[in-house]
Amino acid sequence: MEKDLHIVGFRIGNETYGVRIGSVREIVRVPEITSVPSAPDLIEGVINLRGKIIPVMDLRKRFGQTEIISDKKNRILVVELENKLIGLIVNAASEVLKIPPSEVDSPGSVFAEGESSYVTGVGKLKGRLIILLDIAKLLQHPEYKRLEEAAEPVVTAK
Amino acid sequence: MKRPPEDRGGELRALFFESANELLQSLNEAGLELESRPSDEQVIRRVRRAVHTLKGDSAACGFHKLSELAHELEDVLTPQVAEACGGELAELVLAAADSFGAMLAAYQRNVDPPAVEALHALIKRLLEVPASPENSPVVVVQLPAQFAWTEYEQLMISEAVHRGEAVYNIALRIDPDSLMRAAAFQLIRNVLHGSGTVIALRPEDNLAAASVEIVEAALASSQSVERLKQRCRIPSIVSDVRIEFAATAETSEHELLGDVLEAQAANFVAGAAENGLATKASTPGSAAAAVSEATLRVEATRIDAVMNLVGELIIGKSMLNRTLSEFDQKHARDPLRAKLADAMAFQARILDELHKCVLKIRMVPVEQLFRRFPRVVRDVAKQCGKDVALEVSGQNTDLDKSILDALAEPLMHIVRNSVDHGIEPADERLTAGKPARGTIYLNAYHQGTQVVIEVRDDGRGIDLARLRARAVETKLLKPEEAQRLSEQDALNLIFESGLSTASEVTEVSGRGIGMDVVRTVLDRLKGTVQVSSKKGQGSTFQLRAPLTLASIQTLLFRVGGRLFAVPLSSVVEISRIADHEIHRVDQREVLRLRDQILTLVRLDELSRLRSIDTQPVKKKHFVVVIGAAEKRFGLLVDSLVGEEELVIKALPAEIISSDLVSGASILGDGTVVLILNVPAVLSRLSRANPLGAIA
Repeated sequence: MEKDLHIVGFRIGNETYGVRIGSVREIVRVPEITSVPSAPDLIEGVINLRGKIIPVMDLRKRFGQTEIISDKKNRILVVELENKLIGLIVNAASEVLKIPPSEVDSPGSVFAEGESSYVTGVGKLKGRLIILLDIAKLLQHPEYKRLEEAAEPVVTAK
Repeated sequence: MKRPPEDRGGELRALFFESANELLQSLNEAGLELESRPSDEQVIRRVRRAVHTLKGDSAACGFHKLSELAHELEDVLTPQVAEACGGELAELVLAAADSFGAMLAAYQRNVDPPAVEALHALIKRLLEVPASPENSPVVVVQLPAQFAWTEYEQLMISEAVHRGEAVYNIALRIDPDSLMRAAAFQLIRNVLHGSGTVIALRPEDNLAAASVEIVEAALASSQSVERLKQRCRIPSIVSDVRIEFAATAETSEHELLGDVLEAQAANFVAGAAENGLATKASTPGSAAAAVSEATLRVEATRIDAVMNLVGELIIGKSMLNRTLSEFDQKHARDPLRAKLADAMAFQARILDELHKCVLKIRMVPVEQLFRRFPRVVRDVAKQCGKDVALEVSGQNTDLDKSILDALAEPLMHIVRNSVDHGIEPADERLTAGKPARGTIYLNAYHQGTQVVIEVRDDGRGIDLARLRARAVETKLLKPEEAQRLSEQDALNLIFESGLSTASEVTEVSGRGIGMDVVRTVLDRLKGTVQVSSKKGQGSTFQLRAPLTLASIQTLLFRVGGRLFAVPLSSVVEISRIADHEIHRVDQREVLRLRDQILTLVRLDELSRLRSIDTQPVKKKHFVVVIGAAEKRFGLLVDSLVGEEELVIKALPAEIISSDLVSGASILGDGTVVLILNVPAVLSRLSRANPLGAIA
């Protein structure tokens, strides 16, 4: 029998997403975030993670949430990308889910092309659908680059 | 032979590469000296020793092609050959240094070393020359001497060598016709004692001397070989003299390196020390010999790790301090309070010392960078057919190793440019009433918390008209803009990419890349580059960089409720102004400060930061006047927080990608503070308004 997939589940809006437990370093409460001038829009700023300064991206914005409501359940998933840490803000995260591989469907034609190639599959657990993500692909996404360029400022003349 | 385990072999090879690079450097230096004094025996000997060391070390590491080449080269390196072929030996030494360099690079990448047929041919040719009789006036009779010194004597010799003394092995043949051998020996002894310190002598006493023919001695002396030879050649007593440099220290080191390979003895540090010793022993004439031999080679990453930990400790210290002051407020009467404060003051003092010590480890003299330039200047000058001298000063100025490494490339570009474009051809110089030989001056010194490196030439200076014209040609500026530029701004055009005033592209420079690298690198280092030039008299480039990247003194301030820091070195002054003092000129806020007009920068507008401050707008503002290179601007801030030494942490550039911030740091209470990138703010200003509009 195949081993269950261990997934860190987190919520953004009404959806539950999941990433492989191996790609998540830790989950922390949202501390004070220092915003960085003229950083890309998605980058909320930087935080102090026990003496390390790491950038934080708002995954809620990344997934098109327009109204960002911050509450005490918000968490930061700290993931490692090419030896660098980056934090991702999500609505809530706590559970570690075990999904049997047989319960994971391929992303299907909806996701297969373009934008959403970072979706690696859709898992089913007790009637819930969990969208499985590839963090590395998510963060390498060209959209992210485009935003960087958009961040080019114009000095407003007063 | 037992094969050492892979890691031991790898470590040794790493050691070898490092020491080999130093040897190459000394070969380069010696080659240049040979060029000016083709038959200087001392220099030739030095080259020989370097080549010999390279031969032994490379053989020990299994790099046979390299050791064979070194072996061949050794044969040519004699004063006789030097005399016979003049300047060609210098050429050979320099060419050999290049070939060795190429081979080493190949070995390092684990590929087959390149063929060096040209060098082989050159060696062969040079070897054949001295065969012609008129070129070999002195037939050297080799005395059969072994110089078999005891271990103790060898130790004495190597110590003397390390002290920087010249130690000679001297062999004298007592004239067979001399009747009173004991007396002759006594005479020789007197002469030797009169010319220096006798470290070892064979035979040891007059009695034994009666039966020997050859006297051997190790002598530490400040006299030249010639002088010693003269003194020792006592008529009718001494028939033959042979004097050579004592090489004991060096050969024993060699064996050591080999032994290590075979016996797998000696740990990393010891091996490193050995290697350092070997290099130093082999270059007694150079500055390296003056440095104490108690030097360790340590990987830079290890020091960085220590550095990081000390940085964390400093943050920890401020955390403790804050906690203590909170404790103070809650339990003002607690007797424990004083004890805690004492303990922390003690710890803080030690931490401060520790921090300074670690910073010092990273500091290296700028000589390490400067010493490659004599060769660079020579090569470039030769390529463009010019006669250029290099004068170096301030070699002992210390700066952070990583900054030193980063400065190598920009400095290279500037020096090459100065030789190629700055210095005029000899005839042009003579017409202008200057000496035919051009000079480039390299200088380094400390100024405050910065290090300044200067490159000056006495050439033709930078042609401003030509620069302006080029800027228009390359569509960088419109003609009227080009004319409006101030002289300084026009000079700064040379740092724009794609701009070159060279009328033709040469191999050396002229493709317009290069000088923009200079500015890019210095921006990254939070340094500046300044250029000044006088037509007909030459140009000066001034590179300024912080002494260390690890920590900087900063000024903390708040804008829109957010905390920022700027390097204190870029703060010119702080002033307080009222609303009505801000004027609007050409859609830009300016401020008149005494006789200067300053552009005002509001950080929140420049960076589209939302203000998180709810305080009412004040009538009075602080203005921090910030200067980078020649430019100044005023930064409007809400409040000043104070000065603090910050341990800089890099931000992951590919994610943050904000050029306005050059780094971040953590304060004692855990707050993250961002460090403003002054050059970037300036370049934003000039982007918003075309070049040169900033006061």
